[in-house]
Amino acid sequence: METIYQLLHVTFANVPAWTVQVAAFLIPIAFIFGVYPAIFALTTLVERKALGRIQNRYGPNRVGIFGVLQPLADGLKILLKEDIVPRVADKFTHFLAPVLIVVPGLLVYLVVPVAPGMVAVDLKIGVLFALAVGTMSAIALFMAGWASRNKFSLLGAVRAVAQVVSYEVPTVMAGVAVIMAAGTLSTLTIVQRQGGGILNISNWYVFRPWGLVGFVLFVIGGLAESARCPFDLPEAESELIGGYHTEYSGFKFALFQMGEYLAGMAMAGVTVTLFLGGYMGPGSGPGLVGSLIAMLWFFSKLAGMIMLNIWIRGTWPRLRVDQLMGFAWKVLLPLALVNIVAVGFWHFLTPRPLAWVVTTGWLVIWFLVLTKCNASAILEKREYRYV
Amino acid sequence: MNYPGKGLVEGLAVTARNFVGSYFYKDRLTTVQYPEERIQTPENSRTFPFLVFDESPDKPRCTACKICEVECPPKCIYIVMDRDDKGKPLQRPKAFDIDISVCMQCQICVEVCPFESIKMDNDYEKSKYGRFNDLVQRLPDLLKSNDYYRQIKPVKAAEVDAKLKAEAEAKAAKKAAAVAAAAAKAAATPPAGSAT
Amino acid sequence: MNIAFWIISAVAVLGAVLAVTLRNLVHCVLALILFFIGIAAHYFLLRADFLGTVQILIYVGAVAVLILFAIMLTHNVTGVDGPKELLGVKWWSGAAIAATLAILLKKAILSDPLATLLPAGDKAQSSVAEIGKALVAGWVVSLEAIAILLTAALIGAVVIALEEIQKS
Ligand code: SF4
Ligand code: SF4
Repeated sequence: METIYQLLHVTFANVPAWTVQVAAFLIPIAFIFGVYPAIFALTTLVERKALGRIQNRYGPNRVGIFGVLQPLADGLKILLKEDIVPRVADKFTHFLAPVLIVVPGLLVYLVVPVAPGMVAVDLKIGVLFALAVGTMSAIALFMAGWASRNKFSLLGAVRAVAQVVSYEVPTVMAGVAVIMAAGTLSTLTIVQRQGGGILNISNWYVFRPWGLVGFVLFVIGGLAESARCPFDLPEAESELIGGYHTEYSGFKFALFQMGEYLAGMAMAGVTVTLFLGGYMGPGSGPGLVGSLIAMLWFFSKLAGMIMLNIWIRGTWPRLRVDQLMGFAWKVLLPLALVNIVAVGFWHFLTPRPLAWVVTTGWLVIWFLVLTKCNASAILEKREYRYV
Repeated sequence: MNYPGKGLVEGLAVTARNFVGSYFYKDRLTTVQYPEERIQTPENSRTFPFLVFDESPDKPRCTACKICEVECPPKCIYIVMDRDDKGKPLQRPKAFDIDISVCMQCQICVEVCPFESIKMDNDYEKSKYGRFNDLVQRLPDLLKSNDYYRQIKPVKAAEVDAKLKAEAEAKAAKKAAAVAAAAAKAAATPPAGSAT
Repeated sequence: MNIAFWIISAVAVLGAVLAVTLRNLVHCVLALILFFIGIAAHYFLLRADFLGTVQILIYVGAVAVLILFAIMLTHNVTGVDGPKELLGVKWWSGAAIAATLAILLKKAILSDPLATLLPAGDKAQSSVAEIGKALVAGWVVSLEAIAILLTAALIGAVVIALEEIQKS
């Protein structure tokens, strides 16, 4: 915001100061409200197309050239649908839930920097803010499930809340590793710390032993928190019809979809910021051209993360509830804690090669130990025979 | 080699191969984009009957013998024989209607026809907006050329063609034999004018 | 004192009042969440952004969800058959206790040396670093004690769960 303010101030020197201030407020908000929902619309199309290709199908290709107008058609269709509220539903809560579900997703983007200095608010505690706001979606999910007065909705809500609360812990712990290494909670500073090195790339945290582990943990946690495949138990179609949004139709349903995608994309954005160097990349830097290149880098990384999500969705089957909980508490959480210790090693062991060896060894040993401890949960390979 | 998460990684490899491959190898995409693309229907598929003509639509094979009309179980065929001005039957249909809302595609009409005239079609785009008159197939709708028949059912059409040809040859041979016999008879009969 | 303070206070108080007066338990918790968020907003207003975020993370994200979970497992959520009277004897005695507590707390907080330590005025400075330093330097013993307590509680929970598993 400050950057935009200064930019505007310099460009429009002769307009009253308060207009510049208001504009500096409104521009990031307009950006967030304009760009991310647009990416959401695009993502729905890309996701359907990519899933189709993964299954050797074409995917939607009828509306417009290559089906590019499909999101428009979907939106129009969903707007024209009847809005049904169950007679016994808790009307107010039922109405409020879809509104609230979009908010956390959008709030996270406030602290995700897209270019040098280009972050809506440079909070000193940006990472914590992003993680804290992410949990608020649990409340909205619960409201939706409870207010519908439907067994399936309630079950979905229970699952959603349990899942979000459980996976919050390893996700935050994985983030703590980055916070420790960067020595700050500000997202902008974290990204700046990942600059430099070879081609602005080699200092990304994902290219550290602890960073790689943290990245994997964070991606898994992010998938679980935004209830995306393979952690989409709260809305498991085959078991719970639609989970917490069973009783929603029309535009409210669209809001649920949007909230879910926005949350998923927000987690992708935070992952990019924390581990993939945010807007850092060859060519990004201060100045107009550098900023544009940086923005390009950020959004291509975001697109890459979204594609990774889609790829995972197209591949892995859904977990069982007990597997889900066991995975969070018995694998992810210990690994995240071990990872924090690894960052400690990294920080204090002085010759870099030694730090590399020790951290990698430490993490590998613990990974093997955890695998051994959880050996009973690893399923045998089963042969299915049809007679 | 066995390592934790092997199945997951292998799964990802399979889907990635599908994803990339579907852009480069056309034969991976099994979808038939229906209105633009169609696949040849199998020889034995059948929908509703049609009438075969050989050279032109005004010379159908059908002789309006009404055997199929009688045999059709749901009685969905209606035939009127064509007659000339004097009321002499012309051995061809004036009207030939099949109500495809009644026809149950049993192929009995095809089996009983002695003239290889009525055959099962495999055209499946017969939807109409009306329930009654639109679904009655009239003579012009029903008449289709033998070439069309050969195209949709090559094997059967060849059999039918061979059979008809054999019949025609047999008939011609018989006729020739009859002519020859008549000639022989005429020749055998002494002084009977100029023999040709 | 500015407009934001009054608006946030009004929302927080509304949430608190609704939390104790509504008949439907789930609505009560939702009102309580409103109150929690109001408090978090107050922290932000006081430039204690770390505290505000932690308030959201812990109270809205975890405590409220836990309460909701407990309520979801209760049988009678609406509780329409309870006494409907407001402003009865119970209410007045409760209000009296709350008021006494508030007065005592105010006295205690103001007389504590901590009150003078707080940075005065609205310096646009984050409190994370100070809190961190204070925790690991000044109050390290208390921090460790709390850590041990929490670990003990965690192990206790696991033990209880294990017993139930073995019984079944
Ligand atoms: S297929 Fe069967 S029902 Fe249809 S016209 Fe022929 S004999 Fe009648
Ligand atoms: S289709 Fe065949 S059986 Fe039917 S009237 Fe014509 S010649 Fe006779």
